[in-house]
Amino acid sequence: MMKILTLPLITLLLTCLASPLNAEPFVFTAIPDQDETQLQQRFNKVAQYLEQTLNVEVKYVPVKSYTAAVSAFRNNQVQLAWFGGLSGVQARRLVPNSMAIAQGVEDEHFKTYFIAHNSSQLTKQDTLPEQMKDMTFTFGSKGSTSGRLMPEFYIREQFKKSPNDLFKSVGFSGDHSRTIALVQAGTYQVGALNFKVWDRALADGKIDLSKVSVIWETPEYPDYQWTIRGDVNAKWGEGFAQKVKQALLDIKDPELLKSFPREGFIPASNEDYAPILDTAKNIGLIE
Amino acid sequence: MITPCPLFNLQAQSLGWGQQCVLGSLDLSIYEGENVAIVGKSGSGKTTLIKALFQQAPDKVALCGQDYGLVPSLSVFHNIYMGQLDKHSFIYNFTNLLRPFKKEINAISTLTTPLALTEDLFKSAENLSGGQQQRVALGRALFQNKAVFIGDEPVSSVDEVQAENLLQLIMSRHHTTILTLHNIDLALRFCDRIIGLRHGVIELDKPVTDISESQLRTLYQD
Amino acid sequence: MSPPSPQATGIRKLSLSFTLIALACLFFADTSIITTNPWGEVGNIGQGLITPSFTSPSTLLTSLMNTLAFALIGVVFAALLGMVLAHFFEWRVVRISCAFIRSIHELFWALIFLQVFGLSTLTGLLAIIIPYTGIFAKVYAEILEESDQTALQRLPIATSRWSSHLYARLMPAWPQLVHYTQYRLECGIRSSSVLGFVGLPTLGFHLESFFKQGYYSEAAGVLYLFIAVIALMRFWAKKRYLLPLLVIAFIWLPFQVSVDTDLLYRFFSHDILPAPLRQEGPLTMGSWSQTLDWCILLFKDQILVGSWNTLLLTQIALVGSGITALLLYPLISPLFFTQRKRTVGHLFLITLRSIPELIFAFVILLITGPSMIPAIIALSLHNGAIIAHLIGRYTEVIKLRADSPTHGNRYAYEVTPRIYKPFLAFLFYRWEVILRESAILGILGIQTLGFFIDSAFEEFRFDRALFLILVTALLNILVDSFSRSIRSKLRLSTSPEAQ
Repeated sequence: MMKILTLPLITLLLTCLASPLNAEPFVFTAIPDQDETQLQQRFNKVAQYLEQTLNVEVKYVPVKSYTAAVSAFRNNQVQLAWFGGLSGVQARRLVPNSMAIAQGVEDEHFKTYFIAHNSSQLTKQDTLPEQMKDMTFTFGSKGSTSGRLMPEFYIREQFKKSPNDLFKSVGFSGDHSRTIALVQAGTYQVGALNFKVWDRALADGKIDLSKVSVIWETPEYPDYQWTIRGDVNAKWGEGFAQKVKQALLDIKDPELLKSFPREGFIPASNEDYAPILDTAKNIGLIE
Repeated sequence: MITPCPLFNLQAQSLGWGQQCVLGSLDLSIYEGENVAIVGKSGSGKTTLIKALFQQAPDKVALCGQDYGLVPSLSVFHNIYMGQLDKHSFIYNFTNLLRPFKKEINAISTLTTPLALTEDLFKSAENLSGGQQQRVALGRALFQNKAVFIGDEPVSSVDEVQAENLLQLIMSRHHTTILTLHNIDLALRFCDRIIGLRHGVIELDKPVTDISESQLRTLYQD
Repeated sequence: MSPPSPQATGIRKLSLSFTLIALACLFFADTSIITTNPWGEVGNIGQGLITPSFTSPSTLLTSLMNTLAFALIGVVFAALLGMVLAHFFEWRVVRISCAFIRSIHELFWALIFLQVFGLSTLTGLLAIIIPYTGIFAKVYAEILEESDQTALQRLPIATSRWSSHLYARLMPAWPQLVHYTQYRLECGIRSSSVLGFVGLPTLGFHLESFFKQGYYSEAAGVLYLFIAVIALMRFWAKKRYLLPLLVIAFIWLPFQVSVDTDLLYRFFSHDILPAPLRQEGPLTMGSWSQTLDWCILLFKDQILVGSWNTLLLTQIALVGSGITALLLYPLISPLFFTQRKRTVGHLFLITLRSIPELIFAFVILLITGPSMIPAIIALSLHNGAIIAHLIGRYTEVIKLRADSPTHGNRYAYEVTPRIYKPFLAFLFYRWEVILRESAILGILGIQTLGFFIDSAFEEFRFDRALFLILVTALLNILVDSFSRSIRSKLRLSTSPEAQ
């Protein structure tokens, strides 16, 4: 029993002492808006590309949620992150001098689809239908731009009510694919999600249009973007952020782009995301 | 001549547990070197008396009670070793629990041979028969190496031959012994003084040599 | 016929009143069932279950190793710390601190440490060690208290305090302590797996990812692997393997313990201060009155409704778990089934208690629609299966007469009456656990306290999150002390010897 006590302690001590003190790599994280499987394998290729282009050691760490990504970014565990619109705004508020450097080609003109189960009798219209009142509704995850922030904004704008007051019950499915599954099953009558996830699922034949269809789409807004910490130049040399930006804009390999999935990347700036910040303040997600 | 000071002394004392008085007014002295047997029917107050005597000099007495107080998960060795926990530091005791010292094994082996427990030295107490458990409890009391041994039916669960051997062992290692025994025969053969209890009072207190068969018989009448 | 003893009446009254309370809660809770066409998706899940897939086995094995390593190290350290604290359990301050640290769910601990230590080994370990220490301290203290004391009275009078404690108190309780610790290891593996839900690299990480995106075959693969590890525990979780396993766990987990004091300082001096206090500084009068307003607003908007829903859900699920347990325990009891059939029973119970409640609840959500029902069923089945396991094992020491009745009569007249008191004891132990877990199911959208805590973390409002966690902890401590008083009043004990 003596051994049981001492050994872990000694091992713990040794491990602490022995942890390598070598130069820290440049770390990034990314959560794609669809297909979150095998993140490590897919993004290791991106890490390799960046490593070759930037000439520094680059590492990818998978994270579970945008919240976790923001925390890691804030704590300087990652220096570069592929954020959603809202999480990017939150991250840049928490880390002074950090900046948005690139966005996907599609992210300039992003949209949210409102979808409904066909038993709800809702049809596609130019505005959110009045009949939605007192139905059941699901968002995606709580921190999603297209699955939470934007739909909530437009619901409030149209009905002058909070979703909780408007709907019979409000759920958070946690994921865009799951929103489709839940509305298609009729568990919730209405849902809101990222338009790209819907289009992809439709193309893959995973949607039964006799059960679920799009009833409204929001105006366009900016969404996903690459955000980098302001202090990277101090560590990896002057102009490092600019080099990273260029490397991202230069990604042309379809296989790498498929991981996000985006057609390509174009420059972006913090100002591009002012509308997102205003919206988040408007609905009380940010003080 | 100076009268020697008694080892145990009860004067006009009533004993019992809770509200209930088991033993009436008792006057009793036991001196060093005596081998006393306490006899009587069950319920006559033997156990209560034993406990009271033990309380008078707990530091000099090795007590072997009817509830063995063994630790079921510990081995025979460790249960017996518990008799000398007071002789060593905590660290020593702790180490001995994890990995028995050779010295202690040897010391205890000299006891387990007459107790017929040698083969089961490292068996858990919970896997022993009733008779074996009693011998472990006895072993622990003997291992204390005290001057006085007080035993409450210390050999009740073993056969007659073994009982004699064990009583011999107890007598040989202690100067003073106080035993309760339901076997009168053994009491007469091994002790030199008999105290008979009946309905909570001392009916009889005599040297063995002065006791008659009929006196003993009355003890067991209602 | 003799009149029933006051204790028996007490137990009857207790059971009846808790059932009535649960029924009343059901009346207040949203229990509507809306189904449209869930069977397509349920069919997909079913198909996934029968066609499990093990894509990228290396990732799976890595996360399995992580899961086990976190659990092993976490539980061992918590057990050691808990054992130390158990010896000071008569001190009020120790009792209250233990109640406090175990009242916060390991997921919430993980979310807190994520802010300070990031996604690191330390975060995962602390999230297990802290709440488990509180649990171990309490249960160890109770086991020691109930253990047989006769050996203690037989020791030489001059034996030192610690020696007598070691030999005559700790050792008599040792088998039960070991048994409980082994049981906790299983819980630890579950907890460690669930930590994957917030991003630690354990099995839950993949289970949740696969499941939420509808990759049911892959999800089933992870789940089966997990169930297999737990079902085979009696082969690998042995005392003599403990040391080698621990060493492997230590070598396996990457320890880069670089505690950033700036992050720590920021968390305590900035992040968790109420927003008005943080913005205005603590020196102005205005900031304090605004803080008061902040508290009142939080109380009105979230705490009231959150506590109400949490308590409703807890009370219903408590009775639900009880009923489930009473129905299921014969499955693993030697008094009812043969060895072979019991193996199937064991596997069934392991499956029920290994599927994380969140996933359970989601499947039921598909079928019943959004209301409190999915959470009620998920909590009842999960906790019911755990209690069934415990009382099923308990029946192993019951010896029946050779001519005792069989089947239904044996269940109703012989066994259930005998296990009823330990059953209640287990159930009331579980009360605070159910409360803790009901907070987690808030993530489904039922507005329990956990729902608001989760939202606060999502919005990076750590001040709110911490305030709500403190309220949850308080609620837990209240329930715990209430359950403790019921247990001692009716002398409910879970150990066979003390019956």
